[in-house]
Amino acid sequence: MSMFDTKGHTAVHDRRKPNTLKKLERLNTALRHQEPDRVPISDFFWGGFTKRWQQELGLPPDANPYYHYDLDWIVTVPNMDPWIRPFQTLKESADEVVVKTGFGSIMHKHFEFPMPEMRGWETDTFQKLESATFDDPADRRRFFEGGDNQIAGVGDGFQRNTPPWIETVKSLRPDFPVYGSIIEVSECLTRLIGQENAMLWMGEEPERMGAVINRIGEFYFETAKAEMAAAKGLLDGFVIWGDVAYKKCTFMSPRYWREYFKPWVAKITEHAHANGLPVIYHGCGNVKAIFQDYIDMKVDAYNPLEVKAGMDVLELRRQYGHGIGFCGNSDMQVWETGDHEAIRREVLRKLNAAKGGGYIFQSDHSVSSAVSGSTYDYIVKLVRDFGNYPIQLGEFEERL
Amino acid sequence: MQDLKALHEAVLNGDAKTAKAVTEQALAAGIEPMKLVQEYMVPAMAEVGRRFECNEYFVPELLLAARAMKAALELIRPLLTASGVQPVARVALGTVKGDLHDIGKNLVAAMLEGGGYEVIDLGVNVTPEQFVAAVKEKGANIIAMSALLTTTMPAMKTTVDALQQAGVRQQVKVLIGGAPVTQKYADEIGADGFSESAAGAVAVAKKAVGN
Repeated sequence: MSMFDTKGHTAVHDRRKPNTLKKLERLNTALRHQEPDRVPISDFFWGGFTKRWQQELGLPPDANPYYHYDLDWIVTVPNMDPWIRPFQTLKESADEVVVKTGFGSIMHKHFEFPMPEMRGWETDTFQKLESATFDDPADRRRFFEGGDNQIAGVGDGFQRNTPPWIETVKSLRPDFPVYGSIIEVSECLTRLIGQENAMLWMGEEPERMGAVINRIGEFYFETAKAEMAAAKGLLDGFVIWGDVAYKKCTFMSPRYWREYFKPWVAKITEHAHANGLPVIYHGCGNVKAIFQDYIDMKVDAYNPLEVKAGMDVLELRRQYGHGIGFCGNSDMQVWETGDHEAIRREVLRKLNAAKGGGYIFQSDHSVSSAVSGSTYDYIVKLVRDFGNYPIQLGEFEERL
Repeated sequence: MQDLKALHEAVLNGDAKTAKAVTEQALAAGIEPMKLVQEYMVPAMAEVGRRFECNEYFVPELLLAARAMKAALELIRPLLTASGVQPVARVALGTVKGDLHDIGKNLVAAMLEGGGYEVIDLGVNVTPEQFVAAVKEKGANIIAMSALLTTTMPAMKTTVDALQQAGVRQQVKVLIGGAPVTQKYADEIGADGFSESAAGAVAVAKKAVGN
């Protein structure tokens, strides 16, 4: 089981349930910075958390937090591999597997460890990167056929033959607002050439690397456009997966990011908006140096707002007002303690950011296997009890 | 012979080719290897660290500078070893058991080498036993551990306990870092130092070994 193992429980179904339309209204009202009936809540769940949650709460093996808690939105991932091809298995045992993927990366997945290891890359020289040509961004296999793909297949879990993306969308749509998604250049480079080479070549050949970034940016822009077209109106929003920062700041200089990375995020966002789709941007780390840029690009909400990188949703609200929505920022490290008093303080404090709308309650990245089932149960209850509008948080009230 | 300041500039600007060329010339001209390290290369990396802390340099510039330093050090290291010169300290560095991330660790390795430390890179998914072995068999006097995930962070404490049980805890300093790691956690598990960033790791190591 993995984070993106979110195939729906229903067969292809034309009609959405009234409750789903209510959830969609809730989500969109929040993203318009108006107050809905209650604060929307969802999250991204490690496969390890879901298994633990099932066992601890005595739930069946096909139980899923999205359905169990009737969460407010869900994201789907199409095939974003540059080369659409099956994984090539290089080594396999009961404990682990090593595969080469459609990014040309050699991925080692030990089934006991939450994250995979990238061991090598087919595209291992700058010359290879400059001359690499990818499969068609609009290739219908990305959206309409099942198969292996790295993002869905090798992460916290390991899955082969991921179902056709469009079928996943259709199966979830009756019960949830469904977002499509795309990676931006940074996420591609990590998988295509490795983070170290990406950074080194940016430093060594900034303009030539900039040309490569533009070419890859164009590729994923076209893929995003094709995805929205393939959905034929079935999507409710769009996530852009990026990662350009870590605990300290951005990996590259803000100047370089603005010149080469930002324009592609802006284009995808603009196109999503032209298709009536709000955009949630996912980017880990301390992005304070470029946070205004996301507002300028009219990104609808920023996720995940990692506490361990110094991001705080109340500080951001004070600084930026309702210029952008927030999705996340509840401290996973507090959740992992299981300390109900500390968790209550944490959750209620963060709910202050929901005043006036503009907030979706989630963890500050993803729900790890160190969180107990009963803790997440408690957290959902807190958000449902205290997240009704008008929000009243008692001793945890803070002025913004 | 080129002015030796060119070596400082080459490391600072991440020019590995020039760093190597100037080092070759200097060694051929009989300049003491340690002079090159102590008066030009280490100060250059210290300036790289300062610029990194101030957000004038970012990860690309740091990696390039580290590569330039490494290119020069590859020529110097055999000469230092042959003449019995010891590094500032020997650091066994790795990402802890269950964790497979390495970019942060690699940046720390680069900065420590730039600071005159000998780095034994144990890689990723390093067990407590492997860290203990690095002390007993390779003479490491600093253990530097990295973790990216809250779920793998506890392996840092397990490693500290393993060092204690193996009877070698008192002969090493334990330094930790990584996204979820804090000074508070370092204090809780009895680590000797914690660094928020790769550039800060050198100062923490220096303080830990009392240099």
